[in-house]
Amino acid sequence: MRRHERVMVAAGGLGLALLWELLARRGVLDASLTPAPSTILEALLTLVRRPEVLTSLGVTAWEVLAAFAIAAPVGLLFGILLVEVTFLGDLFRPLVNFLFGVPKSIFLPVFILIFGVSIPQKIAFAVFTTLFVVITGGIAAVESVPRDLVTVSRVYGATRWQVVREIYLPAMAPILLESARLGMIFNITAVLLCEIYGARDGIGYRIASWGENVQMPQLYAALVIVAVAAVIVNEALRAVETRLGFWRRVA
Amino acid sequence: MTKTVLSIKGVSHRFGADGAVVPALERIDLEVPDGQFVALVGPSGCGKSTLLSLVAGLRQPSDGTLRCDGERITKPIPRKIGMIFQEANLLPWLSAIDNVAFPLKLRGEPKIERRAAARDMLALTGLTGFEDKLPHQLSGGMKQRVAIARGLVQNPAVLLMDEPFAALDEQTRMLLGDELLRIWSEARKTVLFVTHSLNEAVYLADRIIVLSSRPGRIVDDVAVDLPRPRTFAMTSSERFGVLKERIWQHIRRAERV
Repeated sequence: MRRHERVMVAAGGLGLALLWELLARRGVLDASLTPAPSTILEALLTLVRRPEVLTSLGVTAWEVLAAFAIAAPVGLLFGILLVEVTFLGDLFRPLVNFLFGVPKSIFLPVFILIFGVSIPQKIAFAVFTTLFVVITGGIAAVESVPRDLVTVSRVYGATRWQVVREIYLPAMAPILLESARLGMIFNITAVLLCEIYGARDGIGYRIASWGENVQMPQLYAALVIVAVAAVIVNEALRAVETRLGFWRRVA
Repeated sequence: MTKTVLSIKGVSHRFGADGAVVPALERIDLEVPDGQFVALVGPSGCGKSTLLSLVAGLRQPSDGTLRCDGERITKPIPRKIGMIFQEANLLPWLSAIDNVAFPLKLRGEPKIERRAAARDMLALTGLTGFEDKLPHQLSGGMKQRVAIARGLVQNPAVLLMDEPFAALDEQTRMLLGDELLRIWSEARKTVLFVTHSLNEAVYLADRIIVLSSRPGRIVDDVAVDLPRPRTFAMTSSERFGVLKERIWQHIRRAERV
């Protein structure tokens, strides 16, 4: 973002918060359902000092990272195989395409029955959800490699490994990062869905119970924490993606 | 008597297998002496580009042998043969200089040496000052110059050019044609140049090989006896017209079949 844009975004956010504060204090908004931002901020500062909340955040972070560490390489590998091995592609690519469009949330009860309400269940479900995004991204990444560049490098004597390192990896990198970023969004969503649906710990579990007990300041504070964390992860991945894709033509 | 750099003996090539065999080239015999500029012309689909890819070592002929500088061509020989395609095919994430240096990188040359060699080639192709530009920052003609510099950077004996100017506009291709002749007269390479353009063939080449329609056979071997350096005025000379007419007759006959 340019400096000008940053200022605008900050001003917009701040303006909305101020408006909300004003409406809440004036009693236009029901404070029991939509407490003032200052109240939420106060709750936020208390929450982040409570050890059990920090533990919950840690549990969620662990589930997210573990699921991603499994789904990203496995999905990428499948994606590459589905392009490079014609037989596997013919067999599974239509299936992957169909399943991509199916909402994965409907499978959640199945995962609970197989794994029980547990951390492995959250990780397995998140892997299942994320996998499709990464496979599809992996396919797109491999197919984006210009065949002509492979021919050129062969004319100039490239070995198989050199073709992978000098052509495939740099050509695929931006699309891989993009699909990793999208995969991460699905991954976080899947973990939180699992936790809200049924869990013993995790920030999603806290959000669900604060919601049930109508503890609105805590609920909103937790939403802020999750939102900020998700935005940071997303923007960090986007920054790497832009760096690796510097050579892509700017429209 | 100059030595033969490129020798093609009894080369035939067929595509496909078993039931659906398509013959692409039939019994091609061609000897190219050192430093000669040879244009390959022929009707669409006559196998010109196939012949070039055989010389490049990208495919193996069904029959016959190809040799470059005495060495049998069974795979690409980057030190002896450089190749330029219709599209510049530059690596979009590398600067102009690193694109030119790419063949040397594959060979494992240290960065300083390969960049020095690449800088010289960019100077030869008139791109001094554009070393650090990325491909998308260059015009079509400039990209093709970078590709030519890359083809020359290993100082190969033979330069293969597969319709290198076909994707460019008329003016750019004329200017680049003159540039190519200047580079060729300085670097003294043997050039095998595939083109659809009869004007380009007669204007650039010492010798024009005319292929028939599929399967491609050599139907004429024309010595272009126009003096060098070639000038734009020659393109409207009588001799230029006679040579063009002779080649055109072959192509017209082939296309009617």
